[in-house]
This record gives sequence, C-alpha cells and structure tokens, in this order.
Amino acid sequence: MENPLNAMPGAAFEIEAEATPPPAVVAPEHKDVRTGRSPGQVAWDRLKKDKVAIVCAVIILFFILVAIFAPLLTALQGTDPTTGLPASPDRTNTDLVDIDGNPLVGMSPHHWLGVEPRLGRDLFARWAYGARPSLIIGFVAAAASTIIGVTLGLLGGYVGGAVDRVISWVVDFFLSLPLLLLVLAIVPIVQLRIAGGNDLTAEELSTIRFWVIIAVLVAFGWMGLARLVRGEVKSLREREFVQAARAIGVPTHQVLFKEVLPNLVGPIIVSASIAVPAYITFEATLSYLGAGLVEPTASWGRTISDAQNSFAIYPLWLWPSVIALSALVLALSLLGDSIRDAFDPTSRR
Amino acid sequence: MTQQQIDQQTGDEGTDRTGAAAVPQTAPETSRKSGQETGQPLLKVTDLQRYFPFREVQGLKMVRATVKAVDGISFTVRQGQTLGLVGESGCGKSTTSRLITRLDTPTAGTIEFQGRDITHLKESELREIRRDVQMIFQDPYSSLNPRHTVGTILSTPLKVHGLHQGKEKARVQELLELVGLNPEHINRYPSEFSGGQRQRIGIARALAVEPKLIIADEPVSALDVSIQAQVMNLLAKLRDELDLAFIFVAHDLGVVRHFCDQVAVMYLGKIVEYGDKKKIYEAPEHPYTQALLSAAPDINVARGIAPKERIRLVGDVPSPIDPPSGCRFRTRCWKAQDICAQQEPPLLSAQADESLRGKREGGLHLQACHFPEVKTDLVAEVESA
Ligand SMILES: Nc1ncnc2c1ncn2[C@@H]1O[C@H](COP(=O)(O)OP(=O)(O)OP(=O)(O)O)[C@@H](O)[C@H]1O
Ligand code: SF4
Ligand SMILES: [Mg+2]
Repeated sequence: MENPLNAMPGAAFEIEAEATPPPAVVAPEHKDVRTGRSPGQVAWDRLKKDKVAIVCAVIILFFILVAIFAPLLTALQGTDPTTGLPASPDRTNTDLVDIDGNPLVGMSPHHWLGVEPRLGRDLFARWAYGARPSLIIGFVAAAASTIIGVTLGLLGGYVGGAVDRVISWVVDFFLSLPLLLLVLAIVPIVQLRIAGGNDLTAEELSTIRFWVIIAVLVAFGWMGLARLVRGEVKSLREREFVQAARAIGVPTHQVLFKEVLPNLVGPIIVSASIAVPAYITFEATLSYLGAGLVEPTASWGRTISDAQNSFAIYPLWLWPSVIALSALVLALSLLGDSIRDAFDPTSRR
Repeated sequence: MTQQQIDQQTGDEGTDRTGAAAVPQTAPETSRKSGQETGQPLLKVTDLQRYFPFREVQGLKMVRATVKAVDGISFTVRQGQTLGLVGESGCGKSTTSRLITRLDTPTAGTIEFQGRDITHLKESELREIRRDVQMIFQDPYSSLNPRHTVGTILSTPLKVHGLHQGKEKARVQELLELVGLNPEHINRYPSEFSGGQRQRIGIARALAVEPKLIIADEPVSALDVSIQAQVMNLLAKLRDELDLAFIFVAHDLGVVRHFCDQVAVMYLGKIVEYGDKKKIYEAPEHPYTQALLSAAPDINVARGIAPKERIRLVGDVPSPIDPPSGCRFRTRCWKAQDICAQQEPPLLSAQADESLRGKREGGLHLQACHFPEVKTDLVAEVESA
C-alpha cells in the first residue's frame, strides 16, 4: 500500500525545488555586511574614532614617557653650580637650604621646580620619578588582580559544585572586610614579617614596601572581577556553543580558554581599565595616610602629604604632583569609560 | 466518551496489560518496509532516568526535591534509521538528548552504543563516542560561538580528532558546500549569517567528525517556516547520502512526519507511545498521541479537510517535580478512570521491545494506557482519498 500521506501537497519534503539553494543565491544577501571583523576589532575601530579616548590616551602616554625617561629628563637640568653635582631625586643637598630648612633656590635653569624644603632634593626629579610607582602599581596590580579574578571566576563558574562554593565564600569574605582599615593595619605587619630582624637599608625597606603594597592591593582587588566572570561563565556554559564544543570532544581547558574566555574579553578589559586608576588613587591615598610608599622612593601621594601644610609658601612642592595625579587618574578613568562604550554600543553617552 | 464505550473499547482491544500482550491487535500491515527490522542496533537506551535534585526554601524550611526530567525510557535506533522524539515543552526531550550525547550523566539506566555501555564513561574515555555521536542544536543564535569565524568553528572538530591534517581548510570548504553554503565565506563571523544559514553551519559542524548518529534537538523550531522546509530537506538529503542514523526531537508530530521511521511520544519524562511511523500516524492508540496528532498543523490544514474529530488538550503539563500518580497524563485525559490514578500503565522496557520485534507482523507499536483505543478518524479521510 502506498502511503498517501507521503504524496500530500505542502508536506515538508515536497518543496524539493527550494532545497539547498546554490551558493550563488546565498552570497548576495550579505553584500552590505563588512566581513571578517571580530567584535573585538569592531570595538577597536570605535575606540579609534572616540576623540575623548584619543586625548586620554595621549595624556597617559605622556606620563608613561615621563616615567620611562625620568633619568634623562632629570639630566636635562644639568649640573647644579653650588654643589657641582647633577640633579637626582634622592640626594639631599643641605647646601641648598638655609638653617631653618627653607630652600635657597626657586625655579631656576638647574632646578626647574626648585628644591624641596628641609632636604634640598630636586623637585623636578622627584616629580618625574614619582610617575614610576604610580604607573607600575596601577598596571601591575590591575594585571595581577585581573589574572587572579579571571582564573577563580572561570574555575568557580565552570566547575561549579564545592569549588564554586569555596570560591564564592572567599569572595564574599574578602568583600565584607573593611578595606582601608585593614590595609592600613596590614601593610606595616607584612612589611615587618618580611623585613623583620634583618638589617636593611632605607632603599631596601622602601622596595619591600612597594611590593607589599602591590600584593595587598591585589589581595583586596580581585573579587569584583571574579564575581563578574563567574556569573558570565555560569550563563555561558549553558549556551549551546559550549555544549557543542563538549559534544565534539574539545578538552575542558580548551573549552574554557578558547570558547568561553573570548566571550569575556570585553568585560575583562573594561574591568582592568577601570582598576588601573583605582589602584593609583588607592596607592596615593595610602602614601598620603603614611601607610604607603616610604622614603626615599619618590611618590606623588607622599609628596602631596608632605607638602600640604606649606602649599601657600611652596606651591611648586605641592601642585605638580596634584596636577599630575589628577590628570593621570582622570585620563585613565575616561579612557576606561570609552573602552566600555566601545564594547557596548548601547551604553553610548 | 461514555463508560460503556470505554468498556467496549477495552474489551475490543483486549487490553490484558501484562507483558508482551500490551500491544493491541490491530490489523496487520503487509506493506511495511522490512529493512527497518534488519538494521544493526546502533543505540540502545534502557530505562534511562535523569533526576535533578534541588533545594528550595519554603518559609523557613529548606525542602529537598527532585525534578524527574526523564523517568525510565527505553528505545533503540538502528543504522540508518531515524527515531522521532516528540512531546510538549518540558517533557524531557533535551535532557534525553544530552544524556545520549553524554553531555550529562543519567541517574539510572544504561546507554549502549554499538553494543558498548557508555553510560558512565569518563570524559577521557568518551573520545570515540564524541566522533560517532553528534548533536545539532535548537537555537542557531546560541549554538555558534560569536567570537569565532566559520573557519574556526568548523576546523575545531577536525583538530580535536586529528582529521584531515594539513588539509583542514579544504575540508571546511567542502563541508560548507555540503550544507549549501558558499565556501568563500570561511572567514565570516556567525553574526553575518541568517538563522537558516547558521543552522547549516551547525549541521556542517556535526558532520565534520563523520558521525554515525546525529541527535537533532528541534533543529528547525527556531527558524522561519519557509526556511524550515529547506533545512529539513537538507537533513533528509544528508541522511540518505551519508547513511546517518538520526534522533529527531520535535514538539509536534507535524515536523517529524516525513523524516522518521519510528516515533516515540514523550509525556512528563516517560514514553507513552512508541512505534513505527505508520502506526503512530495512522493508528495512534494513546490519547496523548491522538491529541498531538489532532493538533499537528500539516495534517488538518495542509490537506484542507477538517478531521472528523478534533481533540483539544486542556490544562497545562503538570510539574515534573510532583507528577500525577498512576498515569501521568490523567490530569488532562478525557478517558481517565480511577485505575489511572492508582496504577501506572505498564512502561516500555527494552526487553519487551526486543521480544516484540519480529513476532508481530504489524511492526513495532507500544503504548502506555489502561484504555488504549485506535483512532483512525484523525487520519481516516486520507485512507479514502
Ligand atoms: N539542569 C537542570 N536542573 C534542574 N532541572 C532541569 C535541568 N534541566 C532540565 N530541567 C527540567 O527538566 C525538565 C525537562 O527539561 P527539558 O529541557 O529536557 O525539556 P524539553 O522537552 O527539551 O523542553 P523544550 O521543548 O522546552 O525544550 C524541565 O521541567 C526542566 O525544568
Ligand atoms: S491510562 Fe492515562 S492515558 Fe490511558 S486512559 Fe488512563 S489517564 Fe488516560
Ligand atoms: Mg528542549
């Protein structure tokens, strides 16, 4: 018996003529679409057209160059005629201050910003070198906390179960701690544990303090991103393309790094670019409060702290650091906003 | 339906609901394709179960409960054969698909592929199975990674299994051509394709590893009706050319009709009727199948003839957390009696399935109802047309 149902008009398989259109038919549909651009490239193109982003990038680049070429810039000032020595950020020059500590030199060809009251150190050198800890701390801490946050977020979100519960608990625990209070207390303690007992020079102590601060900032700065990534991964792992990769037999680490992670590039870059100015501000705050960088390391935060009481008398001691810090943080923040907008066109200002 | 009719029906159908006699004696059909019985058993699923435990806060108490997503289902698929898995949303079709592809592990039951028990294989032991069993997904917008080009998407399976080494690009282009796409589009991103084209890419990805069995989880339900036919045609063409076995998941009987050799109808995690296509479409016995058939659009509308009887399902599917006692369909069944609440109509088991094979000339046809009744009215006019 022939099944009459098979010969039914309108049945799914009778439309043979429309089956598998030849490639030529498929092509014209996408004439207008620019091809071969990943979402990352699209964001990059958008960023390049953003004037605010360009200006910010130029400002940031300026400070990066100042930091890199600080010795060169300092050397440009030449040799001080009184001491017969080239300018340096660290060397104290008691010859350049009077008995009360008041500087004897103001703005001059050999000291563009004058010298520091009391110690007589060259202020321009300290300003230029001061860009270094800010930028290094900002970028290193952001990079490290991003790596930690992404790793733990990926792990918790993808593996789930007990691993996820432990990670979530740690995130919540760290988030619940009173950050500033703890950091103020912890930095000297950690410093003591590392340096304790040994006879160390001021420079060595200062270097240890520098890395302790980065470690502490990272220790308290990874949770936000970990939480964000965990949530994203949890929803991404249910997406069918992840299931498809698993069904194909793609190994788990490759699923994580090649399928899941590329979809998180946007949020990760945005989060990192927002973290950099936050860390710089935090370092400056710590230094200002006396729990940050210590002498002799040149730091804008410390300089602001030292100079604040006499800013009316010695404006050149205070303002260059204030302006540099504000400009750098502002530029980084605005660039962060631009990057966020570039990845998410719906949030355009 | 009156009680008398039901009595009459049950008498007529001789529903001694024990063992192999569960299959009613309907007129034997001599014109059945005999090839369906002779194929190699490729996949054998026995008493498959998947419960999802979860905790819920009720007031101040934490209550533990389970979602019985799949609750003891059995079926076999043979080389080159297609099984249609049909049921309303939430009946456990996708869960079943994920169990067979071992993206998920069953709570109980066994899955055998080519005679090998793969139920509890570890990810590292699944490599071969991953080549032999592939999946096509429902949503073409979520099934392709938006960050990868078509070339990357299609070469990933080749790289993972070390296929066509050094000639991956040529193979990818061959695959694109196979599914009717332009091989020049290898560097495009998924967002540059339409839904139908994306689904073709998903099909190409599944074919890349040269599988024996493809599970297609509602592969066309997210597409425009006009494109559905194209994609279905493509699948049918590929199946015949490549001698693939298919499990085709759908939420109505209309789509699978011309594609399947056998159909299993699912309701709340159980198979309620299972048999050769002809049986299911022309002589359905379970009330739920009859209701689904009556609702299938291409039967009633395409023909332009109104069926003599139209069954309208009322109410929602009950929660799989606390399914009805006895027969799970009883809350929506117009024939439900006391016994339906007390006794679960016998479940299909692979053993019963095998023992029936070959014994009955009419081919495979099983259902789980206390009061089965052949309803040919739903398709009766076709017979006389
Ligand atoms: N991971 C999970 N955890 C808890 N419950 C789940 C999970 N996956 C599925 N379920 C439940 O199991 C039941 C069956 O789900 P499944 O996705 O298999 O249904 P389906 O038949 O594919 O439905 P649809 O047609 O909507 O795709 C649903 O009630 C669903 O809520
Ligand atoms: S067993 Fe279920 S389907 Fe059959 S009559 Fe009873 S309630 Fe209806
Ligand atoms: Mg589903």
